[in-house]
Amino acid sequence: MSFLRYLRKINTQLQLPTRLERQFSNAGTKSAILQYEKDPQPQFTDTETQRLLQSMTQMQLDKVFRKRTVPDNDNEIKFMTTEQLENEFVKMIEKAKHQLQMPPVVKVKQDTERIISKDPALKDFQNTKFVFTDITYGLRQSDRKVVVRDVDGTLSYAPLETQKRMNQLYFPLKGRTFHTPRMFSEQEYLQRCLDDHKYEFVLDRLTVQYEPYELDFHQISAQVFQHLNESKEFDQLRSTRHFGPMAFFYAWHHCIDDLLYDMIRRDYLQNAVELIALSYKLHNVPVEFRKTISELDALQPTPEKRALNQLLSSLKSKEEHEGIQQEIQTAIGKAESDFAADEISLKFIEAYIASEHALKKVQLELAVQTLKEINLEKLQLYHGLKKAHGMHAS
Amino acid sequence: MSLSPASGIGRFYKHSAKIIRFVRLGCTNRPFYHIVVMERRKNQHQPVIEQVGTYDPLPNEHNERLVALNTERIRYWLGKGAHMSTPAAELLGISGILPIHPRTYMTAWRNRQAANADQQRQENAEGVATQ
Repeated sequence: MSFLRYLRKINTQLQLPTRLERQFSNAGTKSAILQYEKDPQPQFTDTETQRLLQSMTQMQLDKVFRKRTVPDNDNEIKFMTTEQLENEFVKMIEKAKHQLQMPPVVKVKQDTERIISKDPALKDFQNTKFVFTDITYGLRQSDRKVVVRDVDGTLSYAPLETQKRMNQLYFPLKGRTFHTPRMFSEQEYLQRCLDDHKYEFVLDRLTVQYEPYELDFHQISAQVFQHLNESKEFDQLRSTRHFGPMAFFYAWHHCIDDLLYDMIRRDYLQNAVELIALSYKLHNVPVEFRKTISELDALQPTPEKRALNQLLSSLKSKEEHEGIQQEIQTAIGKAESDFAADEISLKFIEAYIASEHALKKVQLELAVQTLKEINLEKLQLYHGLKKAHGMHAS
Repeated sequence: MSLSPASGIGRFYKHSAKIIRFVRLGCTNRPFYHIVVMERRKNQHQPVIEQVGTYDPLPNEHNERLVALNTERIRYWLGKGAHMSTPAAELLGISGILPIHPRTYMTAWRNRQAANADQQRQENAEGVATQ
């Protein structure tokens, strides 16, 4: 143990100068808002990425269905048979999945001027321009034609800003305001929200107020994520729809280390592996991660299954033998398969920390070391308890 | 006056003449128009067959006049042989659904003439002042 500590000490001394340099270089970029330099949409909508992001988001039902500040927060009490209840659980999971659907990450839509006709004989026909909106029933907002006749007689499609304004005027979306909320238009109000760590509130409102392809959406969400990366309150967004885009943002901009540290510290090792895998995938790093991911998937259930099992476990009447095993598992918080999964994850994470992609090596190493020690203790306890109950430790 | 649905409550004969026209709503000094389809012979404030749009003639904060048109229904009624009042025809012409109405060209030309005359008068006045 003392040898290890000695090694660690040396390591920190070696790492220190480089770390300082990085901090300084970070300080320069922190003030600037990060942007997607090319279209992130194909990478984001990719099924593999989506699966990784969904798994990272997790599904803590308490959090998904928590009380919100909305008028209708009441719950209904019903008598049901076990079968009905099981069906209801499945429906609940579907609903939770729906609630956790991520807002897409797409590139900023550029405004192009599209002229329909130019008629110089129409110059000065009126002293203001005319905006025509097609209010035909049953069109989608994006399909609705909005055209502008300018004072000089030019007829053209309206710019995006006008189009959005007209759509909101004639077909208002619930929750979206006609005028931009001052929270978004004025920096000091936004800053105050961020300093109070109201990240979810800001992101929810942002999603309602803006379309994902708008520049403001990109800038404000980037600002929120960057602030979040400094305050390290990642747990606030876990099990919300914004966790996926956040992780994607960090992975894209090479700053996953803080999130990774948080995941390791909270013992979400599988998520940590997925985060690293995501960043490898986005930047085409030649490291084989699919094998590790599939191994982990085989060992551990998906978030949906886990949530469903958790719901169903409240129903089951336990048998004697299984009951004790269950009890040991709940007492320790881990099962045999979890320990195996941790082993695989830790190997992968350590390989990442040792590689040149990790920026905060010392911090991560310490976290991994602590986790390992705790895990070892837990494993010993697990075997001890099993032995005490007369079960064979496999 | 209570509001009727956009699909209208006006009764009409199958072969009577229909017209697409404005109905002046709003209040004193604040005009606001509905673009409606109704029987030609009727008064504007009688029940309409269908409302197909709105027109706000006062410019908004962005200096635009807002027009909403239900193009699908307008095309339907035009296909049925509905007439158009001149202001409505002008508006549809400006919007690009129909060819520009001749009267729009006339107003444009007159406005340009008036502006030119104004400019001339000003230049003359300046010339007199400098002399």
